[in-house]
Amino acid sequence: MEVLRLKYEKNEMIKKDKSIEVCFKCSTCSKFCPITQFVKRYNIEDSFVTQLFEAEKPEALHDVWMCCACEKCVITCPQDTNPTEVFTNLKEKAYQEGLAPAIIYRLVEQLLSESTVYGIKFANMARKRAGLKELVKNEKASKELNIIARKAGLVQEEEKEKC
Amino acid sequence: MLNYLFFKGCTIPASLPNIEKLSLEILPEIGINLTETDEFTCCPDPIRIQGANQLFWLSAAARNIAVAEEKQMDIMTLCNGCENTLAITNYKLKNNKDLKDKINEILKEIGKEFKGTVKIKHFLQVLKDDIGLENLKKRIKTPLTELKVAGHPGCHILMPNEILKFDNPVDPEFYDKFIETLGATPIDYLTKNDCCGVSLSLAGEKEAANNCVKSKIIDALEAGAQVLSTACPSCFTQFDTGQFIAARDFIELKESPMPVLYAIELLALAMGRTFEDIGYNLHRVKTPLELKVLKV
Repeated sequence: MEVLRLKYEKNEMIKKDKSIEVCFKCSTCSKFCPITQFVKRYNIEDSFVTQLFEAEKPEALHDVWMCCACEKCVITCPQDTNPTEVFTNLKEKAYQEGLAPAIIYRLVEQLLSESTVYGIKFANMARKRAGLKELVKNEKASKELNIIARKAGLVQEEEKEKC
Repeated sequence: MLNYLFFKGCTIPASLPNIEKLSLEILPEIGINLTETDEFTCCPDPIRIQGANQLFWLSAAARNIAVAEEKQMDIMTLCNGCENTLAITNYKLKNNKDLKDKINEILKEIGKEFKGTVKIKHFLQVLKDDIGLENLKKRIKTPLTELKVAGHPGCHILMPNEILKFDNPVDPEFYDKFIETLGATPIDYLTKNDCCGVSLSLAGEKEAANNCVKSKIIDALEAGAQVLSTACPSCFTQFDTGQFIAARDFIELKESPMPVLYAIELLALAMGRTFEDIGYNLHRVKTPLELKVLKV
C-alpha cells in the first residue's frame, strides 16, 4: 500500500515526530477519538485528527486545544504513530506564537500567581462549606515556580515575576 | 502502615474539598498514613500546561518530585491528571540522563535537584500494589450489596501504559474489581473506556461536552447502573456538574439523574459512613434513589 504523505510533511512538527509520516489515513484513530465522536463538524471521514494533519497552519486552530491527550489514537493506531504527541507539539507552537486561546494564557497567569490553577479565594469558599482550613499561598513555592517558568521559557526572562 | 506524601492537586482542594477531608479520615483506616505539605504546586496539568510549554511542565513536575525526595517519601495522588504528569516526568527523567541534566540545570536555580528516588502512585495503584483487594475486603463493614455501579477508570491513569503499568488500557478491569470488593455489582457498559469529555468543556464546546456526558450516562443507565463512579476529580466534575448542565438540554438526564461517587466516597460508604459523612450534599446530582438502595 502506498503511504499517503501529509500536506505539511516538511513542517517542523514532522521533524519533531517523524512517526506521523507513515499515517495512511485509515481513520481507526477517529473512531475512538472523543473529539471526532462528539463535535458535529467532525466525522469519521473528515475527522479531528485528519483535519489537523492536513491544515496549512494547524497550530493556529483553536481546536487543537480540544485534544485531551487521552491517547486513544495512540492505542489504536495500526501504524504506531503518536498523534497525541503531535497535538502537544502543535499546542506548544501555538502558545509560543500567541495563537492559543486567551483562556490558556489566563490559566498560566493564575498558575504563576498562586501556584494552583484555581483561585485561592474561590477555593476557600468551598473549603469553608466543607469545614476545612483555608488555603494560604505558599510564597516560596510560587517564587520557585516563577523562576522555573523563566528558565524554561514559559515566560520571557525580562518579564517581572507574577508573585 | 504505609506512609505517603499526600499530593492533593488543584481540583480536589478547590472544588471537591469533601474528598480531601474524607481521604484524610478514611485512608488511615485501611493502612494508608498521609502526610500533608503546602510545598507542592500544581502538578501541572497534562492537557493545557503541557501544551503551553513542555519543558516548564516537566521542570515544575520535577520540582514537586524533588520536594518528596527531600522528605524521603513516596507520593500518593488522588487525580488521574496529577498521576499522569508526575509519573511521566519521573519515568522520563529516570530513563533519559540528558533530559534529567537539562531539568536539573533549571532546578539548580531554586536549590533543588531531581534524583529519581521516589515512587509516585495513584490511590488506586496503592490499593492494587500495596494493600491488595483481598486485604481491603477485610475492612468492609457495610458491603454495598444492593448497589450496581458503572466504573469509569478515566484515560490518564491508563495511558501511556508502558509508564503507568496500571491496567489494560483497552479493556481495563481493576476498577470493576474494586467495586466488587466493596460488595457492589460492577456494571459493564459499552462506553466504559471512553473519555469523560472534560477537554470539550474546557475548550468551550458545550454541545459536544453535553452529548459526551449524556452518551456515557445513558449507556450506564441502560446497562442497569444506579451510580457512576470514578477516581479522577476532573471526570467526577464532568459527570456531576457536567450532567447537571447537560440535563438542561436532555430530558432523559432530568428524568433519571445518575448519582456520581468518587472512589473514596464509595469506599467510605462500604466502611460504614453515611451520605452526610461523605459530603454528598455538596454534589450537584443528589438524587435520593440510592439512599433507599443502600438503606442508610
